Amino acid sequence: MSERQWRGELLAPGGSVAMVEAAVANGADAIYVGPRGWSRRRDAYELGDEEIHQCLEVAHAGSARLRAAFNTHPQSSEVPALLRKVERLAGLGIDGLIMTDVGCIAEVSRRFPGIPIHASIGANILNNEDIRFYREIGVTQVVADTKLTLRELSSRKHDLEVGIEILVHANKCYTYLGKCWMSPYHRFERAVDEFGKDLFRGSPNRGGLDYRVCLEAWSLYSGETRWEEQVALKNDAFFLVDDIPKLLDLGVHCLKVQGREYPVELVGGMIRFYREMIDAYLTDRTTFSLPAWKARLAGLRVERDRERTQGTQALLDEARLPVLATPGGCSR
Amino acid sequence: MPPFELNTDISNRRDLQSSDLTPYDALYLGNPYCRDYEANFLERVDELAEAIRQVKGAGRRAYVTTYAAPRNSFLDQIRRVLEVAEREGADAVEAHNLGVLRICRTECPGLPVFVGGFANVYTDVGARVLLDSGARRLTPNYELSLEEIGLLARNTGAEVELLVHGKMPLGISDYCFLLEYEKAWGIPCPSLCQQDLYLRQGDWAMKSVGKGVLSGRDVCMLEHLPALWAAGYRTFRLTALSERPAYRAEVGAVYRAALTGAAAGGGAFPEAWWEVIRRHSRIGLCNGFYFGQSGQAYVPARQEVGA
Repeated sequence: MSERQWRGELLAPGGSVAMVEAAVANGADAIYVGPRGWSRRRDAYELGDEEIHQCLEVAHAGSARLRAAFNTHPQSSEVPALLRKVERLAGLGIDGLIMTDVGCIAEVSRRFPGIPIHASIGANILNNEDIRFYREIGVTQVVADTKLTLRELSSRKHDLEVGIEILVHANKCYTYLGKCWMSPYHRFERAVDEFGKDLFRGSPNRGGLDYRVCLEAWSLYSGETRWEEQVALKNDAFFLVDDIPKLLDLGVHCLKVQGREYPVELVGGMIRFYREMIDAYLTDRTTFSLPAWKARLAGLRVERDRERTQGTQALLDEARLPVLATPGGCSR
Repeated sequence: MPPFELNTDISNRRDLQSSDLTPYDALYLGNPYCRDYEANFLERVDELAEAIRQVKGAGRRAYVTTYAAPRNSFLDQIRRVLEVAEREGADAVEAHNLGVLRICRTECPGLPVFVGGFANVYTDVGARVLLDSGARRLTPNYELSLEEIGLLARNTGAEVELLVHGKMPLGISDYCFLLEYEKAWGIPCPSLCQQDLYLRQGDWAMKSVGKGVLSGRDVCMLEHLPALWAAGYRTFRLTALSERPAYRAEVGAVYRAALTGAAAGGGAFPEAWWEVIRRHSRIGLCNGFYFGQSGQAYVPARQEVGA
């Protein structure tokens, strides 16, 4: 297989214009950004229309594609605003959308048939019949759940007319992504931005930040008896370095790196690493040495883990803060 | 027929035999969390068939649930379950997964399908897609407020089912962390997840059922039933998959009485009802997300408790 034969792409996070510039400079084929208020991240890592316009210019100048992530579930009353936002981004020349809500996907597919729609990992697509359902409503690519095995993924490629996107550098939650409500159960703050969009702070499914309460130091009790002092709901970082050659051979359409919240330099380094690794494998598989690449990843991994650990602690601290913006009622 | 439906859920034959079904109009059969759950109806189709006959013979509607997070390897078994449901005349199947909804639509179109709480019905346009795909009833995602659910129902005309009592799902995993303690505790699977286990950290608590994480507090909408009735809701679930039969019977009786009262225009909540609710709630009560707050918050109705 040569480089020309893999028609897939390396997809990078774009938490700022500077991050998009770094991603393009370091070899990303595509970048995803979150329109402010509409994506699965804290609003600090989302972008306004003018910033997205700048990102489009940067991406297209570097022959990369730019996608907008509407990867959350809005309120019914917000759907018209979502459609207006999509219309604006379509006018700017956005190359595709990443979406979660099945109804919004269907609406956008019907109204904007020229825009490719990828079903987000939050859609929690787990089986081939799921894929067929999403295909029927207009999705052209799906993000594979992080819990799926290579064998499950390979069973999909041959009989499904849909692209498969794989996260190669991310975290694997204890729960299936898109099927977790632990964070808003503990803290959920309704805050509306200047455009009238509810940010749903505490609810990752709805667009707010995730407090990662699963990572608290939980004790396990039966009745009033503590059976275990500290139990862990597994939430491991995973780096599919070992699997990347197989994924390339399998012809997956997209290898995705997450991390809009990380420093620009770290994201640039991560993208450079995966770009060079992919190209090295595609150029000459006979001389490709996986151990060397794993050794090189180790440094990036330490830096990335440190960033995530600090971020997690800040989120857990924030989860204990009183809720200020609450519609009606009181708690007891 | 009563002007409403109060239903609950039961995982296996043991719980069905030991549960008093008097308060309920309908039962969801099967445990959607785990294929290894003890004697799960969804893995024992002969027992499922017998249960459907028993529930219908008792004058109640029999619904069959399906798995909340089905991978490809689950689909053959789900097809066997659907075949039994259709053959035995189950009144509906509950699909938590859009692939399963598609299987129902394409392979057993005569079987009514309800879309369950794990299917992420958040918007009216999403509900419309599912209704167009054959769904007859929807459980909106538990994260939606009553205001949002009302809009969804009005805009689509969908029959909406509301969870009114019990431990609300907070997550589902493919991995059971309790298995790590199997040897240390000397309790094997499938008994592990039935030990009434809670994850606690300070004043936070969540119930663990192995692959499932549930709210520590029981969602309780008892004193809000008159408002729900006035808003037009008629289908209510008391979820009790992880509870003892006494919970199902006693809390169910309270809700049966309260709904009967609401249907007659009443709104009294005797203290004896609250005693039952409190006795069966280990951590406390909450309203889930119905009032737009953190899921563990409790918002009282305007009436005085016990008035």
